Order: sequence, then C-alpha cells, then structure tokens
Amino acid sequence: MKDSADKALLPAGMSDVLAPDAAFEAAVLERLMAWFSRHGYDRVKPPLIEFEAGLLTGIGAGLNGQTFRLMDPVSQKMMGVRADITPQVARIAAARLARTPRPLRLGYAGEVLRVRGSQLRPERQFTQVGVELIGAAEPAADAEVIVMAAGALADLGVKGLSVDLGMPTLVPAVVGKETADADTLKRLRQALDRKDAAAVAGLGRALGKDTARLLAAMLVAAGPAAKTLKALHALGLGKKAARERDALADVVARVSRDAPGLTVTIDPVENRGFEYHTGVTFTFFAKRVRGELGNGGRYMAGDEPATGLTLFMDTVLRALPPPAPGPRLFLPAATPAATAAKLRREGWTTVGGFAGGDAEREARRLNCSHVLIKGKVRELKKRGKS
Amino acid sequence: MPSANENLVLALPKGRILEEVMPVVRRVGIRPEPAFDEPDDRRLRFSTNVDGLDIIRVRSFDVATFVAFGAAHLGVAGNDVLMEFDYPEIYAPVDLGVGRCRLVVAEPKDMVSTDDPGTWSSVRVATKYPTLTSQHFARRGVQAECIKLNGALELAPQLGLCQRIVDLVATGRTLKVNGLVEVERIADITSRLVVNRAAWKTRSDEIGGWIKKFREAVNGNAD
Repeated sequence: MKDSADKALLPAGMSDVLAPDAAFEAAVLERLMAWFSRHGYDRVKPPLIEFEAGLLTGIGAGLNGQTFRLMDPVSQKMMGVRADITPQVARIAAARLARTPRPLRLGYAGEVLRVRGSQLRPERQFTQVGVELIGAAEPAADAEVIVMAAGALADLGVKGLSVDLGMPTLVPAVVGKETADADTLKRLRQALDRKDAAAVAGLGRALGKDTARLLAAMLVAAGPAAKTLKALHALGLGKKAARERDALADVVARVSRDAPGLTVTIDPVENRGFEYHTGVTFTFFAKRVRGELGNGGRYMAGDEPATGLTLFMDTVLRALPPPAPGPRLFLPAATPAATAAKLRREGWTTVGGFAGGDAEREARRLNCSHVLIKGKVRELKKRGKS
Repeated sequence: MPSANENLVLALPKGRILEEVMPVVRRVGIRPEPAFDEPDDRRLRFSTNVDGLDIIRVRSFDVATFVAFGAAHLGVAGNDVLMEFDYPEIYAPVDLGVGRCRLVVAEPKDMVSTDDPGTWSSVRVATKYPTLTSQHFARRGVQAECIKLNGALELAPQLGLCQRIVDLVATGRTLKVNGLVEVERIADITSRLVVNRAAWKTRSDEIGGWIKKFREAVNGNAD
C-alpha cells in the first residue's frame, strides 16, 4: 500500500487530469480551435522539442531560464523542450511559410513545459491555445485578434470577461533612453511593475522632475479605457509618446466598436510578460477568477510585424462552470452487439457488463444513470447521497 | 471556479501598525463594526459601514499573501513585506506614510570598532527577512547565511546565535537596550495600500475609487 502511494507522487507542478476534466479540457480546446479556424486561422503543430539554438533566439530568448534541456544523442546537440509555442510559430512563418501570402493567420494548441511554475500557476506543464497573425502592421489586426479571442471566450460561457490593454512602448517614449542610465531604468521598471507610486516618486531626481510627474500620473491613470485615455490626453505628452497613445486609442476604438459588451481597461505602464512586445498588448481577465485567461500583443516575428494571442487552458477552464456528467447506460452482458450499436447511434454512452447478476446494482456500482432491462432503457432513481 | 467573494475584502495587519493605519482607514470613510475594536473578540472577519466591504485582520506578512492570491482585494502592508516576497500579483499604488521605520543591519556595540565590513566574504545573520538579507549582502559580494527568526531578534547576538541581525528599527531604543548598534541601512519602510492585480483589472471602478480615496486621505494629511 505504502509502495504504491510513494509511486503516485509526481514532480512539483505536474498533475494527472482525470474524468470528467480531461475530456472537458479536450472539448473546450477543440471549440477554441474551431472558432479560430472559422476566422481563417490555419492550425499548425510544431514539435515538442527543438534544437536550443533555434528555440531560444529572437522572441524566445527570454525563455532561457524556463526551458528544460536534453542532449540529443544522435546529433550531439543540445535540445530544449518548448516553454512557449509562439516562438515556434514565428519560426514556421519565417522558415517554412516564407512565400505564403501575407497576412498569414496561424493557430495552434499544445502542451508546454517550464522549469518553474509561477505563484498563480504552479503547474510546470500546461496547455496553450493561440493564434499568430503575421505580416500585418495595421491597428485593425490587433483589434481582430482581441475581438476574436473575446468572442471565443464569451462563446464558451466565460462570464464577466474584461481585457486590459497596454502599450509597453509608451514608458520608453516618455523617459527617453538618453535621459536615464541603465540602473535607473531598471529601478523604474521595477517600480512601475509593482505600481509602487512611492518608488516612482523617489526616482524624481534621477529622471527629472517632469518625467517623474508624468510617470506617476500615468501609473494612477490605469482603469476603464475611456477614463484612462482622457487622463492620458490631459497629460501633455511629448510628440513621440503622443503617437504611441494615439495608436493605442485607435485599437481601443475598434475593439469597443466590434465587441460592445467587452469591458476594456487600460494600464499605461504595464510591461510584465511583454518584454519583447513592440505595440499594443492585451491581457484577458474574468471577474472573480484568479489569474490571466490569456494574453498577447504586437511583436516582431523576425522582421515581420505580428500580433499574437495565447490562452491558458487551466485558467480558461477555471472560468467555466464545471462539466455536468452526461447520462450513461449500463448494458447487461447478454445485450446483443447490434442493440448496443443502435443505442450508441441514438446518442447513448454505453457501459458494457461482463458478468451476470443484478443488472441494476451493477449499473449503480459503475456510476451509470440508466440501465437496459428487457430491451427497455430505464432511468435509475437517484439514491440520496450525503 | 469563480470564488464566492462578492464582497471586497480589505486585509489589515495586526499589532502596532494597525493603530497607525486605522486613522487613515477611518478618514477614507470606512468604519468597522464595533466588535473590531474589542480586544477580546475572537473573530477575524468584520463587516463595515460600507456595503460590500469587509475587513480581515491577519499577521502583517500574511496580508501580502492574502492579497497576492486574491483572497483579499485590498490590504495594507509595509514595503519590507512586499520586498521580501516580491509577489508579482501585488500592486502598491499608495504610500500611506504611516508605520515609518527602517530595515537595518545591526551588530554588538563592542564589535563595531574592530569590524571591517569590506573584508567579509560570508556572514551569519538572524532575520525575519531571509530573501531581502541575502540579496542585500549578495549585491556586495557577500554570502549571507540567514537564520530565520520570527521575533526577539535582539537576543541572537547576546546568546551567541550569530553576531549580526537584520531587523526593523523605528526609534532604535530596543537595539540600544540590547547593546546593539545600527551599522547599515537597507531600506526605508512605510505602509502601503496594496491591491490584487486581477481585482484591479476586473473591478477597476470599485478598486480605482478606493485607491483615489486613500490617496486623497493621505495627501490631505500631508498638507
């Protein structure tokens, strides 16, 4: 007994998914993929493992510390298990589909493996579902991906959905590379990431008073989109920063128009998780659900402008009502195969018995809701469970 | 699975800081039910005069944990706790300006004259803040072996547990009484209003309103 319990222990962040959750996850995943496919996104399937040199370059470079390595005994080269699928799809677009007309719309679903879980997602293996729209620089492309994702999540039954938009290029446009040294920028990034107003104010001397004042105002401006945009307009941003703000406002207007029921918020200083992004970014939340349902944004796939979206299946599933167990029909051992096949065609899920005995009791033991007795389907009365 | 927390929950730290924080909380217009102020009451969760807002009272380190995981939406925590845990899910948008103290390295008075910190390669330190302490010493190329204690740190040097401690100091009286002197300041500490990230994003009107009220209450205080 103790032996088998020992063997049941899995490494941290790994788990067995059982019924009905495993089937539910697969069904939800297929619904998402079908949704993307109906929007013209073709499904691709990159491998689980690639050579490290390819996996961890470009936008994949940030995943160095999160990637499990294996040595390939055949080529004697180091390989990495993917920690994110986006870099793989970007690679496919650049290498295999270089001559396919742009914009290129690709969708994917698969498992990723990470060295460490995060606080909110302790899982080290989890499923990503996403799309990449490659070769379109227009704000309409950003809006298409956001609106499509919001539609997919609402269609699944996610309640209280909201999207938080960011613009990681805004803060650099306000600060300017020449005005601050690397250490100050690092401390500023940290302060903004924690929304630590006191620490931003504390950098006033290093950044210049006006810049610190602007950043502090941007920090507190985070909130509902219309309010935040108004606050950003009132700030008197410089030319470069104003351009970034207007690009963001353009996407906000499109999203509000095309997804009128979606709550849109803006966080002008958000940067976490968007280190390689070059334009509008977005994060999906649902009321009272811990963590992000998904995120994405504008980046450079090689030398092509692209917009990506990743949904995290574990959070998406948490945001949905749990699956209701369907009816299951117990077929006593003597049931002819043709009868069983006919019942399945009618939509029944059948569970076959092997031994004789009391069919009803056996049906209950195997967790069935119905039983076939004398050729008739009979519903089992629910026994009062405590 | 959506949690049942429809009400907003404000987590406040027990103990010394609470006395300094409560005037700010009241100025914002939040008045807890009378049981909150009765020392004998064993309850941990209290309703307030504000509809849909509850207060919980937990240990200061736990405020950060409750808020990080979204069990509480708002809270008050010192930046010592925030820096120690560095939870990415916590935002600290308002400096409440109360609970002022500093995080320092202290050692016995008679050691100071002979000790040259420049020569250290490793030190043994008693502290409530092992992460912050290791980081602080690592920045100077010193390996810190931290002994985690939860209180009465000033005893450690006297009883030979280790020579140095890293602790919060407000007036410095406790250090002095125990024959210790401050040799380095790691950080200045104040209490911050902290907010759960997802709560801020999904209930931005409500949470944004409270942040604004707290900011106004604090600025009113400074003028």
